[in-house]
Amino acid sequence: MRDSDRKNSGLFVLARNILHAFSPKRSSFGMGIRLIAFNPARLLAAFAGIAVAVAVMFVELGLLTGLLNSQALMASVVRGELVVLSEARTDLHKWNDLSRIRLNQIAAADGVERVIPMYQGNMGLSDPDTNTVRRILVIAFPPEDLPIAIGDPEEIARALRTPNTILFDRRSRPIYADLVLGGEAEINDLSYRVGGFVDLGPDVIHDGVIVMSDASYFARFPAARPIMGVIRLSPGANPDEVRANLVASLPDDVSVFTPDELHQREISFTLRSAPLGFLFGIGMFAGLVIGAITCYQILFNEIVDRLKQYATLKAMGFSEGFLRGLIVEQALVLACGGFAGGLFFAWICYAYIAEKTALAVQLSLESVTLILVLAIVMCIAAGLLALTRVSTADPAELY
Amino acid sequence: MAVMDPHIEVPSTGSAGEAVVVARGVEYAFGSEANLKPILKSVDFTLEPGEFVILTGPSGAGKTTLMTLIGALRTTQKGSIKVLGTELLGLSAVGQRDIRRQLGFIFQDHNLFDALTAFQTLRLAMELIEPRPSYNEALDRARAIMTPLGMGDYLHSLPGQLSTGQKQRVAIARGLVNMPALILADEPTASLDQGSAGAVIDIIRERVTQSRTAALMVTHDVRLFDVADRVVRMEDGRVADAA
Repeated sequence: MRDSDRKNSGLFVLARNILHAFSPKRSSFGMGIRLIAFNPARLLAAFAGIAVAVAVMFVELGLLTGLLNSQALMASVVRGELVVLSEARTDLHKWNDLSRIRLNQIAAADGVERVIPMYQGNMGLSDPDTNTVRRILVIAFPPEDLPIAIGDPEEIARALRTPNTILFDRRSRPIYADLVLGGEAEINDLSYRVGGFVDLGPDVIHDGVIVMSDASYFARFPAARPIMGVIRLSPGANPDEVRANLVASLPDDVSVFTPDELHQREISFTLRSAPLGFLFGIGMFAGLVIGAITCYQILFNEIVDRLKQYATLKAMGFSEGFLRGLIVEQALVLACGGFAGGLFFAWICYAYIAEKTALAVQLSLESVTLILVLAIVMCIAAGLLALTRVSTADPAELY
Repeated sequence: MAVMDPHIEVPSTGSAGEAVVVARGVEYAFGSEANLKPILKSVDFTLEPGEFVILTGPSGAGKTTLMTLIGALRTTQKGSIKVLGTELLGLSAVGQRDIRRQLGFIFQDHNLFDALTAFQTLRLAMELIEPRPSYNEALDRARAIMTPLGMGDYLHSLPGQLSTGQKQRVAIARGLVNMPALILADEPTASLDQGSAGAVIDIIRERVTQSRTAALMVTHDVRLFDVADRVVRMEDGRVADAA
């Protein structure tokens, strides 16, 4: 690419305009802000329109990440360096179990301190008030060493050592019977004592979770086989080396992952198996389009209302770049103001969605940064589009 | 009595004695090739430094077109127009813009940004000067231009707080603040009462006299003819006579 071509390329022009708009050498710095802020009613309407678009993007992104994170929740709470699953278990919602022998083999491997088995099944939690039974996910493990981070390990261990005791996930959807500490819970027609509460959260399939010791679980399902093994390594052991050794030495009916890999695999699987990314992506795109149209409309009106003034600037010898800088400055004001409003709306929406669905919908630095960048790109693109109107401002027509 | 600020540097109008504007055989037409409508027909025109010329004539005579060509607001089609020593025929868009930066434009309408105070308007115009004046320098310069116009107390007023005449004076100050070598004014007094119109013309006249700035003004107002050094009458795309 020749230098002149590079200087006229779209990105170069955009960067130059943004730099020009915020150049401290420009004594007219802030002129764009003054122009756009001169009509407060129009500015507020613009902020509101863009804020709605930003909020739509936030909600779509929040729902997507909330769903994905909820689906991969188990992988993100693992307390271990490696995780072993049945090779046939292609996602965490497929319940292919493991042979206990495999876990024993892993426990005997170099660099492995211990392997904690996890059991999982569906049971029915009765609600005596409504006389209904609701399906609930039951997770079981040896109480002496928790394989997942769901609360204070010592408190959980102490509670689970008492036979026929369960811990209820307080983030479960509010569809179950009110369980109180020390009270009774009827599960599959058997009575259990509620020994405490944990924090995990539901996913799309399961509305709630109950935790019990492996002993209590075996009492109910004597032939139960583990569904996952959480591997703790010896001090100083290298996870990659241990994993490579395990994969080389074990039959190919098991898969070994780091928790991060498992989390990523779960998200990839969810995105592959259901068009969630596409659906929510369309929603975000719709927000982007709404915002761009709103921003374009506002900037277009702003330009049309002041076309003679812009033409006067051109007549005086101001460059197109200067005018572009003015419009970009106004676009950035709209983006920032709209973003702030949208963030506030999104915060309210997230709180509401989280309360109603109990999904892991939350504002993260990554999502805030992404939407801010999208809002800026959206408004600048709309501004540059509206700029074509400035090009029609013929200074010769002023005479 | 208006007084020029002695600290304000007046730009050179080219080599000593060189005309500010020299137009020879200028022709201009609107429309497509198949349907050309000639507006200017072999116009010759000269404007010397320190000269105040009024361009007059009936509507459609071509006076505004000639002014926009001299102001590098349109591209010269045929003939030669030299402004401040630069030939406009074949001049690039950037070259035209650079020429325009040396001119002072005063339009019939003030065309002020409603969100900018008078000082902000003038400071914006000063962005075209190199080196750009500091805030205090710009303020001094704005005051020096605005005070003789009777606008010294309105530096920080928005257009919405000014009368039509006051707005037009701000627009005139904007046209003069960079000490242009050539002032191009199109009916600058059309929207003013007689008193304000007289004051505006006095300001332009004074600038011409004191700093040897050249001024070309289009007007139909015969009462203003007396203040001009020369009145050029155009008819049907040609210079009819000059008095």
